[in-house]
Amino acid sequence: MGLTAPKSISSLPKDEAGSELRLGDIPLSQTVELVRIDLPAERAEPLLERGMLPGCRICPVRSSPAGDPIVSVDGSLLALRRETANCLCVRLLSDVS
Amino acid sequence: MAEGTTPTSSLAENKVRLPLIALIGPPNSGKTTLFNHLTGLRQKVANYPGVTVEKYVGQVQCDRERTVELIDLPGVHGFSARTLDERVTRDVLEGHVEDLPAPDAVVLIVDCTRLESQLMLVEPVLKLEIPTLLVLNMWDELEERGGNLNEMELADLLGVEVVKTNARVGLGVERVKEFLSGVEVSERGLPPPVRVLSNVPRGVPLPMIDAFTARRRRLDKVVDRASFVSPGPARPTDALDAVFLHRIWGPLVFLTVVVVVFQSIFTWAVPLMDGVELLITSSGEWLASRLADGWFRSLLIDGVWAGVGSVVVFLPQILILFLFLGILEDSGYMARAAVIADRVMYRVGLQGRAFLPLLSGYACAIPAILAARTVEDERDRLATIFITPFMTCSARLPVYALLIAAFIPEGRLLGPFLGYRAAVLLGLYGLGIVAAVVTAFLLKRTLLRAQPGSFVMDLPSYRLPSARSIGLRLLDRSKIFLRRAGSIIFAVAIALWVLTQFPRTDAGPPLIEDSALGRMGQVIEPAIEPLGFDWRIGVGLVTSLAAREVIVGTLGTIYGVEDSTDDSITLQETLRRDLTLPAAIGLLVFFAFALQCMSTVAVMRRETGGWKWPILQFSYMLFLAYSGAFIAVRLF
Repeated sequence: MGLTAPKSISSLPKDEAGSELRLGDIPLSQTVELVRIDLPAERAEPLLERGMLPGCRICPVRSSPAGDPIVSVDGSLLALRRETANCLCVRLLSDVS
Repeated sequence: MAEGTTPTSSLAENKVRLPLIALIGPPNSGKTTLFNHLTGLRQKVANYPGVTVEKYVGQVQCDRERTVELIDLPGVHGFSARTLDERVTRDVLEGHVEDLPAPDAVVLIVDCTRLESQLMLVEPVLKLEIPTLLVLNMWDELEERGGNLNEMELADLLGVEVVKTNARVGLGVERVKEFLSGVEVSERGLPPPVRVLSNVPRGVPLPMIDAFTARRRRLDKVVDRASFVSPGPARPTDALDAVFLHRIWGPLVFLTVVVVVFQSIFTWAVPLMDGVELLITSSGEWLASRLADGWFRSLLIDGVWAGVGSVVVFLPQILILFLFLGILEDSGYMARAAVIADRVMYRVGLQGRAFLPLLSGYACAIPAILAARTVEDERDRLATIFITPFMTCSARLPVYALLIAAFIPEGRLLGPFLGYRAAVLLGLYGLGIVAAVVTAFLLKRTLLRAQPGSFVMDLPSYRLPSARSIGLRLLDRSKIFLRRAGSIIFAVAIALWVLTQFPRTDAGPPLIEDSALGRMGQVIEPAIEPLGFDWRIGVGLVTSLAAREVIVGTLGTIYGVEDSTDDSITLQETLRRDLTLPAAIGLLVFFAFALQCMSTVAVMRRETGGWKWPILQFSYMLFLAYSGAFIAVRLF
């Protein structure tokens, strides 16, 4: 895991700043850590209540037929919209070490 | 009421009441299953004013002497009151609901395979400072998947009693009963003066996200010290999702499910409905043969029996729909269906959760509007409620069936598969869908304009639905439906009959056009003349405001009374004589659009908290119906 992670970083698209990853960019089965939720409070709340808090680990497990991400958080399966996933800033776990 | 209670109310307060225990938990934690196990058939559906959402209260016989009351609250993730469900739960827990005391204890049930996120409810509940039992449900699944937890340690750390259960098979339910039997009626009197269940700690103006994170950190410590080992992946769920959420199979399964549900409503329900109809007509005939000819027999048979019977006929259809919905929901598939439907709904301006209410709308708009409570975004919920009555409910079917059989010739349009009649019926269903889509599109760009919400859908593990749980729900549905038939429809049937009987003439009841009902029809005739309808249809339009299918019975009564000399003429033949083909098509279009259902209007008012939306909806749908019929009459 620790060895393969850097390879996948370079293959991942990044935004203009070159430093921020969005959950929507993460390939399947790659566990990441949630850094920030770029959503107004009332729209972030459903996410928070379901355990999507900064610092939690998220793993995209599959895509819906329309290509929206389905992720695993805290042992729960959650379906999101692409638009929501793109408001979630994440970092790869290997960046922490 | 503020100062000095009246003698009657103090009497009521002193009256011995049973201890009240609130059952809460996140959705899909097995809450209702546990409730059913504890209460059995001793439960009733209750409506409380103000919030007025169906709430379930049941009595639990703990042992020979002790009985307590248990209230099953909607599943929630938090108490932010963002959704109607959360608001109801919060109001009940804090004792802000009229005629319902603040609960004396709380049973909080969680799915222990997802312990960390589910325990987020614990902290706010503890703030209520009443006896609390934490139920760790689905313990068997946790162990099966290699997870573990020291529940005694967890109980110590949280300071609450903890019980492990598997509610589906009733394991651990006795322990829950033990807790319930120890609950006493508390003498706390008034509920706390401020909202205790807020997500943000009182007095600390922390940004919400920090409050959540802080709570979560405290919880993580607790869970760690209770040596929680999270379970491995749920393999069967994974395998099933690989099919049900597959790029090609997923939508195919979805379409198959929708087709099967429709097929069952319209084909498989028919023999059952025929059976019920036979039962009603034969019992009516039997009763008629026992009674002397006179006004009472006329009232009972022509008024009540025919009127109420015409509605009770739909019971099998509604039950079959709810059987399917129950299976889909309890198995966990409905959440996947919502995910698949979400992209299509999103384009219209709605969200995937609207799929369930809209599907239910094909049976009846009333339960469908209640089901819209699960739509998390308030604007999305309002939009969903607004378009639900465009779904062709089963009450429109008898109207469609009568008019199509009378006016549309049999004949094949597309080989053996599609006849003219079926095509017209399909067209009417399509008309409803088009109206719904256009309306939702317009609403979300005008009155309910908003940024697209963040759609988050929990996907629970697949589970085998329990026959007991679904059976109990069907029983509830039947009770609610029959109660409606027994009250509103009953009253309309009697009122109609009376209006046909007066003013009396020397020879007895008046001719129908001279009766009070006939005159009412003649008053509105000028308004509907451009649509090609005469006063008889006018009467039908007025009476069908009670319920759409009533127009069939009304026309039957009107023509029946009018032609009482000639019994051989059927209603279809009479209609053909009186109504032109364009007018018949106009009438069909009218019924596809118009909100001819006062029960729906009443539910709308309750669920939207005022008259604004129901009045807007009624006028909008009437406008569509009138102009639609006006155009149809000139087109054909």
